[in-house]
Amino acid sequence: MRALDRKLLRDLWNVRSQVLAIALVVSSGVALLVMAQGVFGSLLTTRDAYYARYAFADVFAGAKRVPNWVEERIAAIPGVKQVQTRVVVSVSLDVPDVSDPVNGRLISLPDRGRPALNDVALRRGRFLDPDRAEEALVGERFAEAHGLDLGDRLFAVINGRRQPLEIVGVALSPEYVYGIGPGELVPDPKHFGFLWMTRRHLATAFEMEGGFNDVALTLADRSPSVERAAIVELDAILDPYGGLGAIPRAEQTSNWYLQNELTQLQNMGLLVPLIFLAVATFLLNVVLRRTVAVQREQIAALKALGYSNIRLGVHYVQWAVVVVALGALLGIGAGLLLAEAMLGMYMEYFRFPLLVYKVSAAGILIAVGVSLAAATLGALGAVRSVVSLPPAEAMRPATPETFRVSLFERLGARRWLSQPARMVLRNLSRRPLRAVLSIVGIASAGAIMVVGWAMMDSMDELLEVQFNIIQRQDLSVSFFEPVERSAVHELAALPGVMQVEPTGAVAARLRNGHLQKQTAIQALAPDARLRRVVDVDYRAIQLDRPGLVLSTVLADQLQVEPGDMLVVEVMEAARPVREVVLTDTVDDLLGVTAYMEQESLQRLVRRDETVNGAMLRIDSLAEDRLYGLLKAMPAVAGVTLRSAALESIQTYMLDNMSMMMSVNLFFALVIAFGVIYNTARISLSETSRELASLRVIGFTRAEISSILLGELGVLTLAAIPLGLLLGYGMITGVMSAFESELFRLPVVVESSTFVVSAAAVLGSMAISAWTVRRKLHDLDLVAVLKTRE
Amino acid sequence: MDAATAATAESTETPPVFAMRGVTKVYAMGEVEVHALRGVDLDLHDGEFAVLLGPSGSGKSTLLNILGGLDGPTDGLVTYRGRELSLGGDRALTRYRRRHVGFVFQFYNLIPSLTARENVALVTEIAGDPIAPEDALALVGLKYRLDHFPSQMSGGEQQRVAIARAIAKRPDVLLCDEPTGALDISTGIAVLGALEKVNSELGTTTAVITHNAAISAMADRVISLADGLITSDVRNSTKQPAATIEW
Repeated sequence: MRALDRKLLRDLWNVRSQVLAIALVVSSGVALLVMAQGVFGSLLTTRDAYYARYAFADVFAGAKRVPNWVEERIAAIPGVKQVQTRVVVSVSLDVPDVSDPVNGRLISLPDRGRPALNDVALRRGRFLDPDRAEEALVGERFAEAHGLDLGDRLFAVINGRRQPLEIVGVALSPEYVYGIGPGELVPDPKHFGFLWMTRRHLATAFEMEGGFNDVALTLADRSPSVERAAIVELDAILDPYGGLGAIPRAEQTSNWYLQNELTQLQNMGLLVPLIFLAVATFLLNVVLRRTVAVQREQIAALKALGYSNIRLGVHYVQWAVVVVALGALLGIGAGLLLAEAMLGMYMEYFRFPLLVYKVSAAGILIAVGVSLAAATLGALGAVRSVVSLPPAEAMRPATPETFRVSLFERLGARRWLSQPARMVLRNLSRRPLRAVLSIVGIASAGAIMVVGWAMMDSMDELLEVQFNIIQRQDLSVSFFEPVERSAVHELAALPGVMQVEPTGAVAARLRNGHLQKQTAIQALAPDARLRRVVDVDYRAIQLDRPGLVLSTVLADQLQVEPGDMLVVEVMEAARPVREVVLTDTVDDLLGVTAYMEQESLQRLVRRDETVNGAMLRIDSLAEDRLYGLLKAMPAVAGVTLRSAALESIQTYMLDNMSMMMSVNLFFALVIAFGVIYNTARISLSETSRELASLRVIGFTRAEISSILLGELGVLTLAAIPLGLLLGYGMITGVMSAFESELFRLPVVVESSTFVVSAAAVLGSMAISAWTVRRKLHDLDLVAVLKTRE
Repeated sequence: MDAATAATAESTETPPVFAMRGVTKVYAMGEVEVHALRGVDLDLHDGEFAVLLGPSGSGKSTLLNILGGLDGPTDGLVTYRGRELSLGGDRALTRYRRRHVGFVFQFYNLIPSLTARENVALVTEIAGDPIAPEDALALVGLKYRLDHFPSQMSGGEQQRVAIARAIAKRPDVLLCDEPTGALDISTGIAVLGALEKVNSELGTTTAVITHNAAISAMADRVISLADGLITSDVRNSTKQPAATIEW
């Protein structure tokens, strides 16, 4: 090993704790990047492989009842490659030993052979025997949630009749990677399940012989224009059969959620690591500059011995490279582990029969490359000023640092400040850029913490609003067929029912010129108490005027404002097409919805039966008995519990968010500690001589500590409000990035979030201060006086 | 009667400020033991201007550091006005330095971020009965440099600020380690003049260590060290004014 390389290793060893602190910041950035890249890459590759192998369709459509011969017409639509018709029905399920209401979707599989599209992946057991009417495949998560095994039986309640089902296999489908039931945000496999039955038997049970009510197709060419044309044609064909409007793959529920998750991973996977790498580059630069300044005379001596400027430049660049490389190695290792843990978590909610683990080497190389380049630039900047000096000049001590009376003092504060306080202020104002960057570095750590906790605050607010202000029912009941409003009186008469409100929804397409949106119009009673529409301040809005009320997001998509007219194409009953005025918009948080006062909706649809469900408030003592009675009512298709929905969302948040939060929090602490500790070490190194001089003239350890730590304190105290502000700005940005049709998170930052974030930053400072104070105690008073700076 | 016993005999009249008896100091430098002091007996008296002379490695800095409470002896006794210095640990030594000792160093050790006046104020703020910083600076001839930062002053001026800082607390003893070591002759003489003035006007006991023999001419007493031992201790019959010293 060359002498200069030995010097490099020993120099690094001498500042090992600082090297480690910087390497940890680098590794945090790299780890987050590798994690996000790994999870994103693996999910994307896995999804694509899954979709390809199991023939996930391109276009999906539902209808009321379509005769089988129409399939040929659909196949003849230009660009259509393959068509798969099915019978899909919603039922309520009776699982042995489960008293809670459970709903399910039965999906038909062809009588012979595998489905051409949306094939199922068999996890256990065998495929269906077409001659046995009771056989069913059950979705994996549902089986897990209820501990169902092959050979177990459950019942689908069809028109009040219990149809026994025997589980012969456990399966997954590309259609239900994210397996949520209607109206759910998060899969709740305890209360909703997917089951597959042979087409013939399912059709018989649901009086769908000779027809289908669901169709999926693939296109030879998936360009948007072809897709749009196919959807228009398909809608035209299905229209007479109660078509509910076709949707492209992008809008298919499970795929849409999956895509949404991927996009978020991609965005978050870039921004946060960049902050870390920027902070690491800054730290590296500061520490290296200090090292070079201290080694000024060594550099001169090396030059005198004949080392070239370039060789010396390389020496210090190597210094930076070693630190970054160390951080990168740690980061890649940690990132891969984290990616695996995150994927494990994702696999719980997004189900795939296969997992292609893929980490993009290019992404990692770019990250490491960028940080190496930044480190190199920083090193060169630091070393240039020194190598440019002639050796003889460099051997002389550097001229004393020039100080000025700080601006703060010039403004009149001077007379109030003790000499140590003036030292702190002038040290800071001598290198204002460094002070500012330190503040920004610490602030960004605080901001990351605020964002982490504020996400939780927002989620809590969302749940509070959704489940305590908007939805106040205990359970909701859905019917197979629309009924008259009077039918809900029957529900009211059931034991334990305290309050009933009818709900209704009508499938419709809203149009404004060429803009259109497939949705359902919700009917609301003007005096609704269990399901309400609220304004920005969460006050109930009275729906007492005829006309539509839309979610603001939906109104924006359709480019309409209150007072504008919209074309409403009802996709049920006589399928009337009407112009309706938009009376109001609401900033609701979940989903995108169109609302209408129930009698106006009834007139619009021109049908008496517009009630297809009801909201109930019940006596919790009577719930088990009530579930049994509801399940036995032939008209009831399903019963959904509000508490179950809330619980599954909370569990999901706890699983998903708490992991992300711990990761973020840990790394934010690394940043905070990295910046504060390095700042402390640098200023210790720069002022140790002064501090030792003060000790000699009689200052106590506590007094000199307060000078050094005062500087840290000023930086930290300045960083905290900035961090909180920055965090608030970031959370606003993050929330608008999250804003989707699915949900809008309200920007809510509880004061406890600010307090905890500030406390975490202060805690990092306390730890850094404690570490550095120990060094202060070891100051060699004699040695420091014998050497010149 | 040799010089050392003569000095001890004289001291019986008034108790000495400092008394050292059998002081040794051994440093472990890696695997080698360095004997910096090998049994030193020394008394310093009120108002004395003593010069400790010796080549580098003679142990004079070690002696000064022990007197100043920056370091403790390996063996032997050091008393300051009858109290033993080595007792009480770091806290007591800090208090001792804070109340009784003024230091002047070869490399000034000023705080670069503070002006001349503020460097002095650093001490007066923690002292019991200080001289006003302006007065202390006037005493060393820096009345017109009050608001200059160290980087705006010459080496001699910086060293005089250091002296002003050292004496502003009215220390009982002023300890100077090579105060002119980093200075040229003319600025060095201005610094010595300042020390002389402090000693005569305030009566501060002053010990200057140096390897520059010329400085001994201005002392009351010249103590020579070599290889960790006092080799001579001579009282000057006439003191030469600092301004007339040459080297």
